[in-house]
Amino acid sequence: MLDALWERRALLVSGKGGVGKTTFAAALARAAVASGRRVLLAEVEVSPEDSESPSPLASLVGVRSPSARVSEVSPGLSYVRLSAIEGQRLFLQEVLPVRLMADAALRTRALRRFLEAAPALREMGVLFQMLALVRRTRPDGGPLYPLTVLDLPATGHALALAALPDALLSVMPGGPIGRSVREGLELLRNPTLTGALLVTLPEPLPVSETLELATAIGRHRIPLAAGVLNRLPEKPFPPEGRAAVERLLGTHGPHQGQRALARLDRAQAAEVRLASNLPAPLLTLPELPEHGRELVERLATHLTGAPS
Amino acid sequence: MSLQSLLREKRVLVLCGAGGVGKTTTAAALGVAAARAGRKVLVLTIDPARRLAEAMGLTEGGTEPTPIPPERLYAGTEVGPGRLDVWMLEPRIVFERMVRRLSPTPEAARDILDNRLYRFLSDLVAGMQEYAAAEALDGFLEEGHYELVVLDTPPSRHALDFLEAPGRLARFLDDRIVSLFLPEEKGRGGRLWRKTSQLLGSVLGSIFGESFTQEMRAFMGAFSGLFSGIRERAERLRGRLSAEDAAFLLVTSPESASLQEVGYFRDMLHERRLPFAGYVLNRSWAREDGLAHPEALLRHAEDEAQRGGVEALIHLARHEQVRADAHRGLLSLLAENLPTGAVAVAAPESGSELEDFGGLVRLGEALATS
Ligand SMILES: Nc1ncnc2c1ncn2[C@@H]1O[C@H](COP(=O)(O)OP(=O)(O)OP(=O)(O)O)[C@@H](O)[C@H]1O
Ligand SMILES: Nc1ncnc2c1ncn2[C@@H]1O[C@H](COP(=O)(O)OP(=O)(O)OP(=O)(O)O)[C@@H](O)[C@H]1O
Ligand SMILES: [Mg+2]
Ligand SMILES: [Mg+2]
Repeated sequence: MLDALWERRALLVSGKGGVGKTTFAAALARAAVASGRRVLLAEVEVSPEDSESPSPLASLVGVRSPSARVSEVSPGLSYVRLSAIEGQRLFLQEVLPVRLMADAALRTRALRRFLEAAPALREMGVLFQMLALVRRTRPDGGPLYPLTVLDLPATGHALALAALPDALLSVMPGGPIGRSVREGLELLRNPTLTGALLVTLPEPLPVSETLELATAIGRHRIPLAAGVLNRLPEKPFPPEGRAAVERLLGTHGPHQGQRALARLDRAQAAEVRLASNLPAPLLTLPELPEHGRELVERLATHLTGAPS
Repeated sequence: MSLQSLLREKRVLVLCGAGGVGKTTTAAALGVAAARAGRKVLVLTIDPARRLAEAMGLTEGGTEPTPIPPERLYAGTEVGPGRLDVWMLEPRIVFERMVRRLSPTPEAARDILDNRLYRFLSDLVAGMQEYAAAEALDGFLEEGHYELVVLDTPPSRHALDFLEAPGRLARFLDDRIVSLFLPEEKGRGGRLWRKTSQLLGSVLGSIFGESFTQEMRAFMGAFSGLFSGIRERAERLRGRLSAEDAAFLLVTSPESASLQEVGYFRDMLHERRLPFAGYVLNRSWAREDGLAHPEALLRHAEDEAQRGGVEALIHLARHEQVRADAHRGLLSLLAENLPTGAVAVAAPESGSELEDFGGLVRLGEALATS
């Protein structure tokens, strides 16, 4: 299943806040590199005002100063923090007749403020920078970054990103924006090139929301590559053991371990429900004691070692 | 100070935090607690999870706050003087009201509302929820009907996006800047202004195409009458949020409590002179539950299945212990070096209890007394 993922050009990692998108994106990129791919690991800046804000993704792969310029992290793995302003600059350079004009325009306070105040234009800039990177080629004509793994912001914003192209096309079907949006959609909607991976936790609500999210991105015709059920607790019960304990607890009252037990039950129910309702394959990742980079390494190993 | 006294004394409580940590749930639970403590409270929620909306009896698309019936609010105790209203933020409604209020004539308002660009703007969720929340908060505070407004903030990657958005808008709405985007005849200014305006015109023309640029400029022209009003409100809101009687709480979950980010949030508030009031560590196992260890069950185990089951439970209890200890450690780290008056409280994992209103009441109590 992973091999099929590696054949695409862009993998979009999305999901609710805190479910492990960033950790998974980093592990996925590592796993792809381990399978011999050249990977660009990308994330979206928080907002243009604070380019200083901490970037969990950058620190997970050991990038000290995250920026909108691609930096090579290790052989085969590069990192970039997509920035609206950078994307807008590239866009202006492409559409304006004179290159100098783009720089002059961006030095104009009025235009800069316009670009940052209009929400759609910010997201547009991000999208455009990503497209520009995907399109970059090497001297031999092959793509410079054959595979981009994008760590998207939490659901609300990710959906807004997904809805943006249609919204933009509805008001400006023509012109340079329309053209590049259409080009973006060709990439985004092509299931051989793009796939979304929806990360979620083994809890009832996150699962419901993931199923809703799957429907929503389906509406925007973005292909779903897989669901990712993260932090699945290990299952300590021998067959019959769970029911036996239930009887004992029924007779002798609650004991410590109760909260963990309830959590485990929820997790198992969630896994069953997700696997049977998601219109895509499901990857599962274990809950591990590690943090940060060690966690990423272990999850990457788990991914590459997992039966495909 | 305790969370209880925040609930008793403040006028605005803003709940910030990363996506999915429990801002909306906490906002509702704190609103319930404050109302039960006797205050007139409004909870402004954004996109509540379905079961939360159901637990509170909210309807979507309501144009007015929904009062929670006192019998429900006070279920189990005597009805007191406090009241709770809840409103689910509807950006469309908020904007429409704003446009109507700030427009010189009803016709002018209609021109804006019917414009397709207006609809395009208000359709895009990103950013717009933030503007709308700020706008709605300002409206309710101005009205003065409530003693406490508890404000939930939109899901965002960044706890402070909510605060940045109105500022971005206000900065853009600087007259000198806006005038550059207006149709020619409305503009003014000298040579530099004209040169810049021309540059912008050709840039916008190349980006958006001539006809769309014309349309956009016309829209800006129609909208520009509202700008000074919007700007004023953004400033007024800023003043209100930095006042003594406002408080910002950061909600975090044990999983996503990266101390680095938590500290960053505090610094950001400080930099903006906004009153930081502390942390809510949501869904935590920090509280002792005082239960017996499952070892005790071993002697009751009669067969292999039961023994195996108890062994597994012992294993789970050990994990639970590790987790609970981690949560306690986290809580005491959060409590270190708090400024005076700020709190660090833990909200328990409520499991499926939140399905009814009683669950919110208990969560509110747990928070207020922790
Ligand atoms: N499989 C796992 N086992 C244990 N801990 C995990 C696992 N996956 C993620 N975590 C932990 O969960 C926390 C949140 O992870 P992460 O930052 O990747 O989430 P996210 O979805 O990117 O969050 P955000 O929405 O804030 O960007 C981190 O502390 C991470 O170490
Ligand atoms: N203390 C708790 N115990 C159990 N479940 C909780 C608790 N707090 C929140 N939840 C659940 O977690 C989910 C997310 O909570 P909530 O919607 O309040 O988060 P949020 O921060 O407002 O999310 P968003 O960023 O999407 O607005 C909901 O399903 C809610 O019921
Ligand atoms: Mg992340
Ligand atoms: Mg919420």
